[in-house]
Amino acid sequence: MLNRTADTLARATPSRVARKVRGLSDRGVAWLFIAPTMLLLLAINIFPLVWAIGLSFTNYRANRPNEPIKNVGLQNYQRILGDSDIWIAMQTTAHFVLWTIVLQTLIGFALAYLIDRKFRGHAFWTTIILIPMMLSPAVVGNFWRFLYQPQTGLFAYAVSFFTGIPNTSIDMLGSVGAAPWAIVIVDTWMWTPYVMLICLAGLRSIPDYIYEAAEVDRASPWRQFWSITLPMALPFIMLAVLFRGIENFKMFDMVNLLTGGGPGSTTEVASITLKRQAFESWRTGYSSAFAIILFVAVFGLANIYVKALNRVKQR
Amino acid sequence: MAEIILSSVSKRFGDSEAVRGLDLTIAHGEFVVLLGPTGAGKTTTLRLIAGLERADSGTIRIDGADVTALPPSARDTAFVFQQYSLYPHLSVYENLAFPLKAPGQNLSKAEIDLRVRATAKLVRIDHKLESRATRLSGGEMQRVAIGRALVRQPSIYLMDEPLSSLDAKLRADMRLELKRIQRELDATLLYVTHDQIEAMTMADRIGILKDGELVQIGTPREIYTAPRNIHVAGRLGQPSINLLPRGLIPDAGLPDAARTVGARTEHLHIEQASNGSADGTVDWIEHLGDQTHLHVIAGGRKLITLAPPDTALSSGDRVTIRYRDPLCFDGNGDRLGGGAQ
Repeated sequence: MLNRTADTLARATPSRVARKVRGLSDRGVAWLFIAPTMLLLLAINIFPLVWAIGLSFTNYRANRPNEPIKNVGLQNYQRILGDSDIWIAMQTTAHFVLWTIVLQTLIGFALAYLIDRKFRGHAFWTTIILIPMMLSPAVVGNFWRFLYQPQTGLFAYAVSFFTGIPNTSIDMLGSVGAAPWAIVIVDTWMWTPYVMLICLAGLRSIPDYIYEAAEVDRASPWRQFWSITLPMALPFIMLAVLFRGIENFKMFDMVNLLTGGGPGSTTEVASITLKRQAFESWRTGYSSAFAIILFVAVFGLANIYVKALNRVKQR
Repeated sequence: MAEIILSSVSKRFGDSEAVRGLDLTIAHGEFVVLLGPTGAGKTTTLRLIAGLERADSGTIRIDGADVTALPPSARDTAFVFQQYSLYPHLSVYENLAFPLKAPGQNLSKAEIDLRVRATAKLVRIDHKLESRATRLSGGEMQRVAIGRALVRQPSIYLMDEPLSSLDAKLRADMRLELKRIQRELDATLLYVTHDQIEAMTMADRIGILKDGELVQIGTPREIYTAPRNIHVAGRLGQPSINLLPRGLIPDAGLPDAARTVGARTEHLHIEQASNGSADGTVDWIEHLGDQTHLHVIAGGRKLITLAPPDTALSSGDRVTIRYRDPLCFDGNGDRLGGGAQ
């Protein structure tokens, strides 16, 4: 049946086309199929990367395309690594990444643990909890700006309601001390559900009979948690940390909308510094070098982490 | 002392009744095997005693104390699961040590080490103590699972088909080993299987379950020689019992109420027909190595019996068949003259 269909198709193909196609080997056909994807990847991923590496050794400025481009060697890299502003931005990034990961993992795992109890309506609550991560970061950034408003915002109102501090003095985005925490809160609000989802998958992957065996072995619920639940869910938790870590290391859109890096440069994470250097100061060569450094840092850290993850998984 | 008493215990899962009004008493130090086909309620019975399931009605007593509503941890039982249930992220050593670290055990590190190693030796897994539980073969996992039950020395051992995934040689070894361990520890052991050889060789008493009900319980000898009904008779014996209608072969002298005659090898006398009056024909002779099965066609029905390895019969021979005190069953399938066993 299938053979006959193929036969009919082959006969219906115009002989000019058929002759050309018949000349192709299976390997040739395979290349033909993946070529569009390969070309697309080369054009939008590999080429810009290579081009940026090239630019990072020059003094090129994109707003002065007619000036002669001079090769400056490693000078851009040297200046970046010696620039105290860059190091402050890196510290801000580290603060942001560290706290968002800690909070999201703790709250996310706790939520997953509760939802996994399969109480009445747990599916409904799962859906409710997942709503924040379904929103666009741009939307989240915008409406949290309203929520954080000292005079009219709900956040300031709620805090003043519970603490008695007048709401006009609660300026989360405008004060130097609070702004870094303001962005941590928003990111945690938005992405905790994502961590919860991955942790939930991990908890669901532990078969019931393991718990039955532990119960017969007279392990207390506390011990069951520490010696079964946590170690068996650990690879999933680590995966969630990896995803959130990479994502927040290059966090841009939400912070840009909330504070734009301010007040001053208190929330200026690395990607915002990069944007300012590249598209406000137009130091294209310099910012290319910075981008390459960031890329290598993320890539290297992620690789070390994945190695650790594999070791945990193999246990 | 560890005596288990189940009185009219029932458990249903949705529409199906897994266990129906089960009465069962297991004395201290007794090895009881529950035998029955899949879905007979054997595993559910074990899980009820362990506390992994709650009975819908009836009571479960261990050593006189009502444990019906107690959690598994309060019952001092050890359970060998059919699917091993090892802790996959722990080594063999850690798996065996796990039950010893329960609250109330209060064992020193050296003591734990001693018992883990002794148990590992007992179930012959001591060469793999450092291996991950997931890196073991099926037989090795099963031995670790048995070892984990033995290591704590609880008052009651519950085992759910623990030998089912071992190869034949190891299974035979483990049968003897389990029986020896049980005698040595003077432990109460309830064992579930569908393998009649395990039941016959290890049990002090065998309980036959069918559709959630205990049909008969007794020593292997009793179950074999005096089955209460056709179902029980069919559970034991290899080759299995021949169930024949009245009149198929000469059956003078059997009770009038007998509708079905159950005949095992020892109930049949088969010899070469000397003069024309044959009852059946030898269909073929099956040599199994340790056994020789004789297949005889009589009146359109097939009988299978054991034959001596040097039997003079061969395919196509015409034979006479006589009963020798066979088992007789009435129209309901209950055995006649069996009394209330």
